[in-house]
Amino acid sequence: MAGLFTAEIENRGIVLDPRTKLAVMLTLVIFALGGTGSGIAAVRLMTTAVSVLPMLLLLTAGQYRKAALTGGIYAAVRTAQSLLLPHLTGAALSVSGICCMAFVRLMPGLVMGGYLLSTTTVSEFIAAMHRMHVPQQITIPLSVMFRFFPTVLEEFAAINTAMRMRDIRIGGRRAGRLIEYRLVPLMVCSVNIGSELSAAALTRGLGTKVRRTNICKIGFHIQDAAVLLPAASLYVLWGLGMIGVIQ
Amino acid sequence: MKTAAILNHVTFRYANADAGALDGLDLEIGQGECVLLCGSSGCGKTTVTRLLNGLIPHYYEGELEGSVTVAGREIRETAIEDLAGIVGSVFQNPRSQFFCVDTTAEIAFGCENMGLPETEIRSRISRTVAEMQIQSLMDRSIFKLSGGEKQKIACAGVAAMLPELIVLDEPTSNLDLDAIEGLRGIIAAWKRQGKTVVIAEHRLGWLEGLCDRAVLMDGGRIAAEYPGNVFFSLTPQQLADRGLRAFRPAHNYLAAPRGLQQIRPFPETGTVTLEEFRFRYGKHMALDIDRLEIPAGAVIALVGHNGAGKSTFMRCLCGLQKGFSGRIRMDGKCCRPKDMQRLSYMVMQDVNHQLFAETVLEEVMLGADDDRQQEAKALLEKLEIAEFQERHPMSLSGGQKQRTAIASALLAGKRLLVFDEPTSGLDFRSMVNTAALLQMPGSEVTVLIVTHDMELIDRCCTHVLHMENGSIS
Repeated sequence: MAGLFTAEIENRGIVLDPRTKLAVMLTLVIFALGGTGSGIAAVRLMTTAVSVLPMLLLLTAGQYRKAALTGGIYAAVRTAQSLLLPHLTGAALSVSGICCMAFVRLMPGLVMGGYLLSTTTVSEFIAAMHRMHVPQQITIPLSVMFRFFPTVLEEFAAINTAMRMRDIRIGGRRAGRLIEYRLVPLMVCSVNIGSELSAAALTRGLGTKVRRTNICKIGFHIQDAAVLLPAASLYVLWGLGMIGVIQ
Repeated sequence: MKTAAILNHVTFRYANADAGALDGLDLEIGQGECVLLCGSSGCGKTTVTRLLNGLIPHYYEGELEGSVTVAGREIRETAIEDLAGIVGSVFQNPRSQFFCVDTTAEIAFGCENMGLPETEIRSRISRTVAEMQIQSLMDRSIFKLSGGEKQKIACAGVAAMLPELIVLDEPTSNLDLDAIEGLRGIIAAWKRQGKTVVIAEHRLGWLEGLCDRAVLMDGGRIAAEYPGNVFFSLTPQQLADRGLRAFRPAHNYLAAPRGLQQIRPFPETGTVTLEEFRFRYGKHMALDIDRLEIPAGAVIALVGHNGAGKSTFMRCLCGLQKGFSGRIRMDGKCCRPKDMQRLSYMVMQDVNHQLFAETVLEEVMLGADDDRQQEAKALLEKLEIAEFQERHPMSLSGGQKQRTAIASALLAGKRLLVFDEPTSGLDFRSMVNTAALLQMPGSEVTVLIVTHDMELIDRCCTHVLHMENGSIS
């Protein structure tokens, strides 16, 4: 099961603290997506280095195929950007220029998001929120929501299977009502499961007034330092550039 | 004897329900007692478990009269969260009672909610794990566990909170016989520790020698109470008269050798041949059948332990398994997986997944030409759901939903019907009705039933196919 907070806990490779992942995510949004400090050569170079980080992280988590795929696409687009673009002119230049730019800026953040969701368990996430002093009123509904996603996906898969056996599909006789046919059973099943899930949660004391504890061990290790260092250096380089020490 | 719970003249009616669920019920449960609540569906046994763990009146709303006292606390004045450390609950559906992805976090979940210190939680987990002997299940992904393993983790999560009273609501509905044996061991250990255990169940045999008292309920009242040893000496006929399932199946087909075996006379009219039914997940050979001939029009039970490959077999048979390339020969035609999708139909365990339309008639007509309405109505008549044809399928009972799904498959000309555990969680009368239903499709249609229910097999199947480790030989 890959997807939202359903991390493979049995062989997960190198484990990072969820806060490290969030920090890298934020850095990518500021520098790669936002283009902060792109006027400074050192920052540009470092941004590229940090943009490759998510693909390397996928490797450390054992998701080799995803890593190779995203890494390959990123490399191809970067190559095209530097080798092909200078030879284009006019409309071709502006269209492909914008496409390459959007791609190079968006992709690292998206890959990082995918890595974050597919390698963090709900308990790790809650523990991290707890350490960051996010109140329980926010973390508890969030945790129930995350628990609910994979279940809804399972339900959705079962409904799809059922529809295939009934030969209801795009291009079929009642294709116009495909969405309705899918949503009604999905809602009925989700409501049932959601209600059972809440009942089970209540009997196990979710929502007591006492402060919830957490046995999930999260914390910063050497691998977190290795990942945080390049991200942090971006801020330093940018700061140096802003006060004019480097250009 | 000290009492663990007292229900005094309790009457309860769920909000939005026409009839009451409980009607002046009196029940006293002693500390350390193991009590079985039994009776047909709708007798009120689940409602009693919900009163004991506080879900009624705090979660399921309705009109409650009389008094309920659990561990010395009046239930109305006790917040449900405060009962969490005192009453533990295990539910029927493993899909909807887990919060975490990994087993250790799941066992810790309740203790974390109680705000216990980390060291205390860790020591409770290791004690619980040792007592239940589930070391091999630690630090595993819950998504990868079998039904029985999931239920053990649910029990462990409850036990780690050290409750005085544990209620279980149909905990074995989704389990095979081995898994039930495991659950029996857990409850026996709880008894030895002096915990009070209340179990609402349809399957009864596994509780023999375990429960001290059996309470038979009917229409929201107690119809009879038996000491454990008296109850388990009731004959199958006496049980059937009371709407209860038999204790021990007359036959255990899991003990039979692998392969196909005829269990009652059946006129052979033709065969359906399955060829090269093979499928592997990675290195694991989940299904490995070279050739299998099944009599056309037969009602065949597919039995095997959890993990025997029955689900994979079903998915292949219905042409739903990606990457599967076997063949079915039927009426001299050779069917590839794509054709199988057209020829076969699976009635899922949760029928809600396969009912789409707004009325029963529309549901059955879905995908059929409009001029077949008479045919559809005749089918509804035959399956005894004609009176519901204008109702929304989701408003029907479980059995009626099953019938609607079957009617839609028959109208679509399906020749192979596959049922996934059609009687899980059903009482005696519903099981008998389902058995009759499974014989209805007629000689044109071959029926395959994946089931653990030996009583059902004895009532309606013509053949039994025993499969283990993906193989029938």
